[in-house]
Amino acid sequence: MKQLITLRINGVDEGLYVEPWWTLSRVLREELNLIGTKEGCGGGHCGSCTVLIDGKAVMSCLYLAMKARGKDIMTIEGLQGENGALHPLQEAFIEHFAVQCGYCIPGMIMTAKALLAENPNPTEEEVRAGLSGNLCRCTGYVKIVEAILSSAEKKGN
Amino acid sequence: MTELSVVGKNVIRVDARTKVLGKDEYCSDIKLPGMLHTKVLGSHYAHAKILSMDTSEAQKVSGVRCVVTQKDAPKKLTGIIIKDLPILASGVVRYVGEPVAAVAATTLEAAEQAMDLIKVEYEELPAIFDVEEAAGTNPPVIIHPDFSNYRVMLPPERLSTERPNVFTHIKVYKGDTDKGFEESELIVENRFVAPSIQHCALEPHAVVVRPEPDGGLTLFTGKQGISRVKEDIAATFGIEPHKVRVKQQYVGGAFGGKVILYEYIPTLLALKTGRPVKWVMTREEASVLGGPREGMVLIVKDGFKKDGTLVARKMEVFVDGGAYAENIPGITRNCSSVAICMYRIPHLKWDGYAVYTNTPKRSGMRGFGVNEVDYAIESSMDIAAEKLGIDPVELRRKNLLREGEPMLNGEITHSIGAAECLDRVCESIKLKEKGAPEGPWRKGKGLALGNKYSTARTHCGARIRVTEDERVVIYHGADAIGQGVNTVISQMAAEEFGISPDKVDVVFSDTAITPYFGNGSTSSRTTFNLGNAVRRACDDAKRQIFQMAGWNLDAPPEILDIRNMEVYVRTHPDRKIKVRDLFSPRQNRPPQISSGVGDEAGEIIGKATYRMDGIPDDPRTGQIDPVLARQGQRFMAFYAYVAKAVEVAVNIETGEVKVLRCYGAIDLGKAINPKTCEQQSEGGMAMGIGSGLHEAMLMENGRVLNPNFSDYRAPLAAQMPFNENMKTFFVESAPHKDGPFGAKGFSEGVVTGMEPAIANAVHNAVGVRIKELPITPEKVIRALRERG
Repeated sequence: MKQLITLRINGVDEGLYVEPWWTLSRVLREELNLIGTKEGCGGGHCGSCTVLIDGKAVMSCLYLAMKARGKDIMTIEGLQGENGALHPLQEAFIEHFAVQCGYCIPGMIMTAKALLAENPNPTEEEVRAGLSGNLCRCTGYVKIVEAILSSAEKKGN
Repeated sequence: MTELSVVGKNVIRVDARTKVLGKDEYCSDIKLPGMLHTKVLGSHYAHAKILSMDTSEAQKVSGVRCVVTQKDAPKKLTGIIIKDLPILASGVVRYVGEPVAAVAATTLEAAEQAMDLIKVEYEELPAIFDVEEAAGTNPPVIIHPDFSNYRVMLPPERLSTERPNVFTHIKVYKGDTDKGFEESELIVENRFVAPSIQHCALEPHAVVVRPEPDGGLTLFTGKQGISRVKEDIAATFGIEPHKVRVKQQYVGGAFGGKVILYEYIPTLLALKTGRPVKWVMTREEASVLGGPREGMVLIVKDGFKKDGTLVARKMEVFVDGGAYAENIPGITRNCSSVAICMYRIPHLKWDGYAVYTNTPKRSGMRGFGVNEVDYAIESSMDIAAEKLGIDPVELRRKNLLREGEPMLNGEITHSIGAAECLDRVCESIKLKEKGAPEGPWRKGKGLALGNKYSTARTHCGARIRVTEDERVVIYHGADAIGQGVNTVISQMAAEEFGISPDKVDVVFSDTAITPYFGNGSTSSRTTFNLGNAVRRACDDAKRQIFQMAGWNLDAPPEILDIRNMEVYVRTHPDRKIKVRDLFSPRQNRPPQISSGVGDEAGEIIGKATYRMDGIPDDPRTGQIDPVLARQGQRFMAFYAYVAKAVEVAVNIETGEVKVLRCYGAIDLGKAINPKTCEQQSEGGMAMGIGSGLHEAMLMENGRVLNPNFSDYRAPLAAQMPFNENMKTFFVESAPHKDGPFGAKGFSEGVVTGMEPAIANAVHNAVGVRIKELPITPEKVIRALRERG
């Protein structure tokens, strides 16, 4: 039976009727049409559903929506700055040609954001290990890693 | 050639911004009002009779709007080349997971609940899974006993009456291999095995079908080849083709897995319910119903002279095509190309067999069979090199075909940059220098050559619209599957008009609006074919512009040129007129001449078709007519050659293989956008590391055991070499005379050669030869133990 809950998504409180078994990914994609968060496997192995919950990277396809009450959820849609300014990671992914089919990209960027928040100056090895939950079939990861490393250097935080 | 200002530059991809914002609507994201969700019930058995089906309980589930079985579906058999495939299983199932029923419901949960209530009674039949056993003349199980009644788009010489499960037999014969082997001073014979693997496009297969008020349909897809979908759906369901519209935007990866049709079931449900129906395959469904790649068993026998000259090659190739043919006949035919267009060999006998087994039907994957064949032949070359005591690079260089020489099927070699590819990677990786051991790790280096053809006998169109605000709009029907097509053609159009690429817009992939693009974005064909069509359409638009400008400048069109949307007289550039001014009414024109654009609804439209003509081969011998060949006629559109060199480290205690360095050279004619070429190359090398070391579809009694991303190991970032150890080299010394700016397509060739290069490197490191992919630790350890 659906329950009325509030979820804080990208800084906005959304009132939603959800079934107890609904995943956060389903609520984002189907109820709020926040389609930037993708579903590639439904089993938590490909990372294309990655969102940030209280700053930590989470597979939203395995995370129950009800459990997200009271937490700060950020999706790819919430990354833009004011007046549509791109986040430095988004700029870096464009500049470094890290984008091909694009399906893994929102998950990659959200994971990278969490990674850099925890480790602002990672080595290449640490970036690659940090992407262990994100599968990409197009790029071979070279330019994704390059974009993340360059973003870390630029930000300097 | 004049200096290029946009082509050849690293123009930022036009699709990157919306993708990093997560704003693009992929097919799997689409929601339509009143939309129903699809669940498909698959067979439990690899081979069984369906005795009865009862959907009555399923129909009662709240939210269910329709439950269908074969009795509700058109009776026509479908299939790309052989019509052997019912929409839903009809009387018999031939693989685990074969669709037997489907449900459309208002929610996925309701559809799943209904599916569990569908009762099917089966009588299990014996099944056959081994491709060599199935290919025999007297197999224990015949999967399609009715084969002779099927519609088959193959000449009889390409069928096999003696082998009841073989649905295509490809012969490529040249000379006399018996004689050739008699003359050989060294013969190497080996058997190689490449398993079925998964495409692993991140976006699962998806389609949304919307019934239209006029009785037609709109299909929102994520495919390679929207025209085929339109034609096939129209024909299968008896709808007039002009009422079927197929459209898509960006596709979340394809790699060949989105060519075969899976739109029938949601179309059936949409027609029955009158409501839009969506089917997004789960990862489990995509791994089975999406069509994994074929597997192959390859037996190679090569004969050499002592000095390394190749004399004869005999190959027997068994292609596991699963339970239904789909595009496997084409794969079986075309995979031979990598073996016949690289080296000079006087005698060849190639027999390729496409074989039915009781396993999931297949869809060709990036390379279309070429990678498995290249694994076999490039491993064979290294095996021979060692036995002959000849350097493996020298052995290849010595036997390489040259420009103007006939290939083994009679086609004349044109645009072959293989030698330079070989030199670039081997010199850069310092092939002859072996790294020192580190603990249990032994290092080794290996190389391989490869090539990938692109199909001919296709055609495609392009339309260019030049607007009043001096923008160029390109209309095309190719597929944006991640390869960067819209960026590359924007560069070409920008070059033609002398403008910046950000003044170019692209409208794509809509059968109601965009021109036909035969065969879809497959066979590495988009840059070559669409690029040519776009350039010709630009010419057509410019012709009209120059005509109108000529009236205004009082100059004949032939002496005009255009830059920055300004037309000028080449010899007197101060005589000029802006394109935007052509849209305004002009005072000083003779009244009997039309004013030009102002009278033509404010649009200049250029259009063109690019036909990639080709000639067929003789189905008895695979040879093409030598007279036509000498006249320059072609069998394939082009061949792009590649070379790979890798350095590996092998752990002699665990058998683990790590790729330390990976260098790929591509003979691409002209890099239209070097960065996007690198993108392809890096992705391709990663795919080859995956299939070389980690990936295999595992089955037990026909059931796929790893239809997911947890047990099927496509490589992650941590399994790849570091960035500085992944290098791409462009070879532009052999441009193609018909390619746009000399360019050839190579987006499949970037994978080719990885598997044999890795196998050769492992041998170089620890002296064992692995002839079955993937090269897992277990296989390496077993081989090390056997060697002692």
